[in-house]
Amino acid sequence: MTDPKSQPMIQLEKVDKFFGSFQALRDIDLVVGRTEVVVVIGPSGSGKSTLIRCINRLEKHDAGRVIVDGIELTDDVRNIQDVRKETGMVFQQFNLFPHLSVLDNVTLAPRQVRRMGKDESEKLAMKMLTRVRIPEQARKFPGQLSGGQQQRVAIARSLAMQPKIMLFDEPTSALDPEMIKEVLETMEELAATGMTMIVVTHEMGFARAVADRVVFMADGQIVEVGTPEHFFTNPEEERTKLFLSQIL
Amino acid sequence: MTIAAPRRRWVKKNLFGGVWSSLVTIGLGLAIGYVAFVLIRFLATADFTILRRNLALFMVGSFPRPELWRVAVAVLILAVAAGVAGGLINASARLRAHQAGLPVPAPPGPRSLVNGFRRYWPLALLIAVCLLLTETVTPTILVLGAIGILVASSWALARLPYSRWSWSLVVALPFVAYLVLSSSGLGWDKWGGFMLNIFLTVAGILFAFPIGLSLALGRRSSLPIVRTFSVAYIELFRGVPLITLLLLGVFALRLFLPSQLNPSSVTRILVAITIFEAAYIAEVIRGGLQSLPTGQVEAASSLGLSTWKTTRLIVLPQALRATIPAMVGQFISLFKDTTLVAAVGLSDMLNTSSIATSQPEFNARGLARITLPFVALAFWAGSYTMSREARRLERRLGIGER
Ligand SMILES: Nc1ncnc2c1ncn2[C@@H]1O[C@H](COP(=O)(O)OP(=O)(O)OP(=O)(O)O)[C@@H](O)[C@H]1O
Ligand SMILES: [Mg+2]
Repeated sequence: MTDPKSQPMIQLEKVDKFFGSFQALRDIDLVVGRTEVVVVIGPSGSGKSTLIRCINRLEKHDAGRVIVDGIELTDDVRNIQDVRKETGMVFQQFNLFPHLSVLDNVTLAPRQVRRMGKDESEKLAMKMLTRVRIPEQARKFPGQLSGGQQQRVAIARSLAMQPKIMLFDEPTSALDPEMIKEVLETMEELAATGMTMIVVTHEMGFARAVADRVVFMADGQIVEVGTPEHFFTNPEEERTKLFLSQIL
Repeated sequence: MTIAAPRRRWVKKNLFGGVWSSLVTIGLGLAIGYVAFVLIRFLATADFTILRRNLALFMVGSFPRPELWRVAVAVLILAVAAGVAGGLINASARLRAHQAGLPVPAPPGPRSLVNGFRRYWPLALLIAVCLLLTETVTPTILVLGAIGILVASSWALARLPYSRWSWSLVVALPFVAYLVLSSSGLGWDKWGGFMLNIFLTVAGILFAFPIGLSLALGRRSSLPIVRTFSVAYIELFRGVPLITLLLLGVFALRLFLPSQLNPSSVTRILVAITIFEAAYIAEVIRGGLQSLPTGQVEAASSLGLSTWKTTRLIVLPQALRATIPAMVGQFISLFKDTTLVAAVGLSDMLNTSSIATSQPEFNARGLARITLPFVALAFWAGSYTMSREARRLERRLGIGER
């Protein structure tokens, strides 16, 4: 049997991204294999968010190719929708829908996008909420939950679309320290199920324990890619060493 | 004596806490006392004959008197609609509480009648004043009948199994009321008095809201033509006083329409009001749209929701909720602005006041000091009710807000 990690799930080829005249991504080449977990690190403004937002077309890349599970992202709206159906995203600010109950937050996309019935979608939602360990909060509204609980609802909301890929943009940066752990544990369990994940985070413990590879970015470019051991024991590039010395 | 002590302490602390606060309390107290004195003297000595004689004129203008039964039937039908709406709101709230496993509130009982009067006391005051001014007993019977029907239908609907389809009754009944009022050639052109003000407000809102919503969304469209049109429309009509549009509607609308179409003056006024109001509603909604964090749209898109579904299910529910205070403020000013139609010769309630004071019997006796406070009371009761209801709605929707 071939290693699933050798089959590409996400392919970025020579991707450039500009905001006006400012180049936020420069010549990005990255292939993420099936079931692989990639952690992206780098200083603020280095383009980490922009990189993962190009994968589900929250940002449109200006040059190069982005191919997700064999679907190339073009201006074709159907392609974009197909990619988004397969790709969940978790944001730093949770971005739960405050006017909907927790349950409705989770059932919304399965019902509206997958055209699932009410009962079936609620069963699925409860399964996902159980997986992130907060089924008892289903009837509450997001505003009534703690930050850690909200972020776990956000993860359940993405999982309810049964995506093949999960993108995380600093999922624990807005959380109090005591809540960071519960969210990281949820993500670790998710990785163990074989989900393909790209995680932007400053949690080096998570990177060390869960990541297959770590990507270090600076100034819109990928500076260095390697296994966690490689990164934390003998990084090659000067910029990587400098950055790691600042955050570790 | 001992019971009064805390109250005395409250008075001392809040009203006479210092020299300045005592002076303010005494000054305002004297002012309030004086106003109350003037008001009581006015109510005790004034001759309200002009209102008694013209009550129907104030309420419905020159609507043919033999046809007044139509107004009565329409009022009763609207009472059913209001009762059904109230009952359905109650039933759906109880159903939701039940599904969420929260304590289910009791259906309306005798207490809710008292609560209803407290909730709508400005309207109750207006109705009571009107009934005091009637010369026959028919209006009193009508009002009591309407309240009875309202209460009965709301109690019934709150107890019947809840179905979303029942809401179609609430939509359909006003149309039935309209048909009853307008059949046999008594279309809205023949309407006047307070009825006309209410009609112009409600119809103005109903027509202007969808247009304003489209303009607000159009302003954010990715299509340049749609965007330019929306901005141009909004900025053009927001910059023109309503009275100018009303005059244009009466005197110039014909120029833009094919000659076979010759809309009545009320219709033309309604068109002018709708055009004007749509621009303001668009701006109010734009404010709500801007208040929405971009993350909401990004989260919806990342889940695969289409632009339209994102707008309908995520953006608008939150944006419109955020606009309730401004929107109701807009509706209240429209309600009061409908009196501007007096300037183009329609006999709305304000114009009725001048019509009444120039009747031979009442002419040149300075009776505007009687009629105008009555007009003011009617508009105040309507406006204040709207703002009270809006605040209530805001509080209720506040649950689950972050
Ligand atoms: N919508 C935008 N318009 C203009 N510039 C932008 C926009 N979004 C991002 N940028 C710029 O692009 C660069 C990369 O931004 P990005 O958000 O990807 O950085 P990041 O690595 O995620 O940083 P952080 O760790 O602070 O989140 C930054 O310099 C930022 O100012
Ligand atoms: Mg970022």
